[in-house]
Formats: sequence, C-alpha cells, structure tokens
Amino acid sequence: MKKKKNYTRTDKAAYFFLLPAAVIYLSVIVAPVCYSFFISLFKWNGIGEKQFVGLSNYINLFKGDKIFHTAIINNLIWIVLTIFVTMTIALLFAVILSKQFRGRTFFRGFFYFPCVIAPIAVAIIWRWIYNPNIGFINEFFKALGINFTQGWISDPNVSLYAVFAAALWQAIGQPMILFLAGLQAISPDVLEAATIDGANGIEQFFLIKVPLLKDTFVIVIATLIVAAMKVYDVVQGLTGGGPNNATQMLSTYMYSQVFQYNNVGYGTAVACIMVLMMMIVIIPYVSFTAKED
Amino acid sequence: MEGKTKKITKKAVLYLVLIILALIWVVPMFTLVATAIKSKSDFYSGAGLFSMPAHVAWDNFVNAITKGRLFTYMKNDLIVSCLKVPLGIFIEALAAFALTRLEIRHKTGTFIFFLIGMMLPMQTALVPINVIYSKLGLLNSYFGLFYVYVGFGISFGILILRGFFNGVPRELDEAAYIDGCNKWQLFYKIIFPVAKPAVATLIITDFLSTWNEYLLASVIINDNMKKTVPVGIMTFVGEHGTDYGYLCAGVLISVIPVLIVYLIFQRHFVEGMAGAVKA
Repeated sequence: MKKKKNYTRTDKAAYFFLLPAAVIYLSVIVAPVCYSFFISLFKWNGIGEKQFVGLSNYINLFKGDKIFHTAIINNLIWIVLTIFVTMTIALLFAVILSKQFRGRTFFRGFFYFPCVIAPIAVAIIWRWIYNPNIGFINEFFKALGINFTQGWISDPNVSLYAVFAAALWQAIGQPMILFLAGLQAISPDVLEAATIDGANGIEQFFLIKVPLLKDTFVIVIATLIVAAMKVYDVVQGLTGGGPNNATQMLSTYMYSQVFQYNNVGYGTAVACIMVLMMMIVIIPYVSFTAKED
Repeated sequence: MEGKTKKITKKAVLYLVLIILALIWVVPMFTLVATAIKSKSDFYSGAGLFSMPAHVAWDNFVNAITKGRLFTYMKNDLIVSCLKVPLGIFIEALAAFALTRLEIRHKTGTFIFFLIGMMLPMQTALVPINVIYSKLGLLNSYFGLFYVYVGFGISFGILILRGFFNGVPRELDEAAYIDGCNKWQLFYKIIFPVAKPAVATLIITDFLSTWNEYLLASVIINDNMKKTVPVGIMTFVGEHGTDYGYLCAGVLISVIPVLIVYLIFQRHFVEGMAGAVKA
C-alpha cells in the first residue's frame, strides 16, 4: 500500500462525469450572466446599433429613477415579509405535520397542493378572489352581513400586501417540505432523552429542535431570499406592477424596460443589479456550506 | 388515566389547528372549483360565489379544450417536461457522483461553482438567451426551451443528489470494486439506484417547475401552436374583462398531470429532500 499523497489529483474519469453538467451550466448560466453585464454598458433598443455609455445606465437608475427606487424597496419589503411570515408559517405547518396522526399524508399533500399550480395561474385566481364586486373576500363579508368593500389590488396602500398574501398561499409548500425533512433527520433518541430530563414540548422545540435545524434554516432562508428577489409571475399576473407602480418589483421593471419600452441596455442593468444583490445572499450561504464541508 | 386524557386533548387541539388552517388554505381552491362550474350567465344573473349553479357549466371545460387549445399546450409542455426531467436528473447525478465519489482537485470549489446558479435570477439570462437564440434560430423550439431549463435546474439537482450520495456508505463502493465494477458501473448499477428517494423528490420539483415556468417560456415561445401551459393559459385572459369560469376550468385541467406525478412520487418526497438539509 502506497501512502496517500497529501494533495489530490483529479481523477480523469471525473472530467467525463462532470462534462455534461459543466457544458450546459456554462452556456446557460455563466456565459449569459457575463454577457448581461456587457450589454448593461450600452444604450440599445435590441435591434439597432449598440451605443457604449459606460456605467451611465447604473448611474441613471440610482440617481434619478423613482420607479427603480420603489422596486428595490418593494423587493426588500418582500424579503422581510417572507422571512418573518412565510418561514414562520412553513415551520408551524412542518411541526404539526411531522407528528404522527391519521390523515397526515393527506394534509401534507393538501398544504403542498398550491405549489402544483402555475404561479401565473395562482395570480389569476387571486385576481378573481380580490374582485371588488363579486370576488370571494367581498362576497364573504356580504354573506356575514358586514358592509365592507375594499379594492384589494387597486388600492396602492394595500396592493403590495394583497399580492404577498396571494403569493404566500403558494410559497409555504417548499420551505415546509424542507423543514419536514430537517425534522425527520432529528434522531428520536435525542428527544427521548430530553423528555426524560423533563423538557416540555415548547422547551424541546426551542432548545433542541431549532438548534438542530441549523442547516435547514440556512437553506430555507437562502432559497426564500432568492425567491423573494426574483419574484415575478404572481406580481405580473395580479397587478403587472401597478397600480401606479405600487407593486413594481425589480423583475417586473426589468421586463417592462426590455420588452415593452425596448430599453434593452437599461433593463439589463436592472437584471445585473439583481445579481449583485443576490451576491449578498450567495456569499454567506456559500461560505457556510464550504465550512460544513 | 390522567395521561390518557391529556393525550386526547393534545390530539384534539392538533386537529382543531389543522382544520382551521385547512379552512383558510382551501379558499382559493374552493374559488377555483366554484367558478369553473358556473357559466357566465350564472354570474350575470347575480348568483354569488357561494350559491350552487342550476347546471354544472361543462361548457367551460369543453371551451378550454376546443377554443382554448388547452390540449395543444399540455402536449407541448409534456414534451418539454419529459425531455427535461429525466435528462436533467441524469446529468446532475453524473456530476454529483463525481463530486462525492471521485478524486477532484478542487472539490468544494467545483461544488460551490455549481451551487451559485441556484441564486441567480432567470432575468439575467433573458436578454442574452434571446439574442443568441434568435441568431441560432432556436426561438420557438422545444429544444431551445428545454436546454435552458436543464441549465437552471443543475444547481438544485446537484445540491440534492450530492447530499444524498454523501449519505450512501462507502463500504458499498469497496464491495463493488472488489466485485469487479468499474467507476461507471458503480455509478449506474449501485449509487444511482440507491438514491431513489432523492430522484423521486427531484422528479416532483423538476416536473413542477418545468410544467409551470412562465417567464422564459413567454420570451422564447411566440408561436401559438408551441406555447406551454402557463403561457397558453394567459391567452385566456381577455384584454377587457376575463371569463373566469372558462379560465378556472382550464387551470383545473392543466393541474392534472402534475398532480399525477406528485401522487406517484410523494412517498419519498420528504425523505429525498434530506440531501438539501444536511450540508
């Protein structure tokens, strides 16, 4: 037996196994992202000549573009709401659905069901629920005899939260499954030991389960923030960024600049800012994952 | 005896909480069904959402299929999803195998390189892919669409499969090598089949996200006959007022294939996610 050398050499077979993934990944993700940064330095309508403008797309966005400012703030509000509301509810659901009881499989499927529907279709369903004349919510108040009507998505003061509520219905499925997987991985011995030591349910949850779910929290928070940064379908389908840009997101703003106003360079700059903001999430997540390795 | 009553109260509280949550969660589902079975005239005659219609408006379903071309959209989506899901998982499994079982110089670095894709928004690929595809003539092609989907699925697939492969005991490798397996056989005959729960999980999440993807599909596909379900369903939305009965019927039909996939693979769903939550 030869002693293992203290540096690893790449096995030639590894190239063969990694090649397909690497080729597709480079051509679909890496190259387009680089190309996007290149395009964002030009004024371009998508068809004619590109005109190099340096960083002025970025400067204009940050200096004078009020809609862009609204969009960034909306994305930040969305992130805060997802962390506090979506994650809490998903964890609550997971804790309940991790217990042993009859009908567990049914309820897991039931609460996961909204994830099965296309987000764009979810938006349309909720547009109907929010309908000020005969939608579910206002009909419901009428059925209860309460005289209260509210234009949920047409009122700029509440529209962002109304859109978030619609998205929430669908958004808890994925983190719920992740939490369930995390809870399942906790060894029953640990909990049994805690019960013997006299820890009650709530103590067990906060003192034992939550710390043991550290890895799960990391991936849930990372994926939720990422999803909040790129949220598009549900907003586009419900309000399209309106009324009066009250629900404008970076994604919807980017789309309208590129595909409606043909400001391709300017819109791409918005996309690049999204990437840069994602880096704030990526770097801690990656360093955590690398450390665990 | 006291312990028993306590247990029963606990169960009762559990069910009570569940039922309350279920009642809130059922609202949109109820709306979807209650709307799909009513005709336009039911709504105009002032029948509210809560009243039963005189007749179930099957017309909504028929219209969605005939006038709405729903089956064409579903067929297109099925082609793209059935290409994307197995091929994507296979490619991801190959990479995950290399990352867990073979000697690689910068193993963690390579993994992180692939992981970053999970965090990047599709919006950044939108313009470049549009430009490149129009040069290569890949706009309006199934290949063009599914190729991008495979690319965006790679990160999550590798994360899940790598996590799962890491949990497969190394003794299996040694036993396989002693039995004369080469690396390919080790992957194909031993490791990949063992990862069934992770594969089942990926089939569900991949199929879901492919079947329902809207942004890229709306940019890459303009041809009415090649649209996928989410893009196709949006053609049901009228410029001036939407016939919601017809739309909701369309949504209900289009959910069926995903539901079937979920029901087939859900047994391993939670177990398979374990690869993501254990670093």
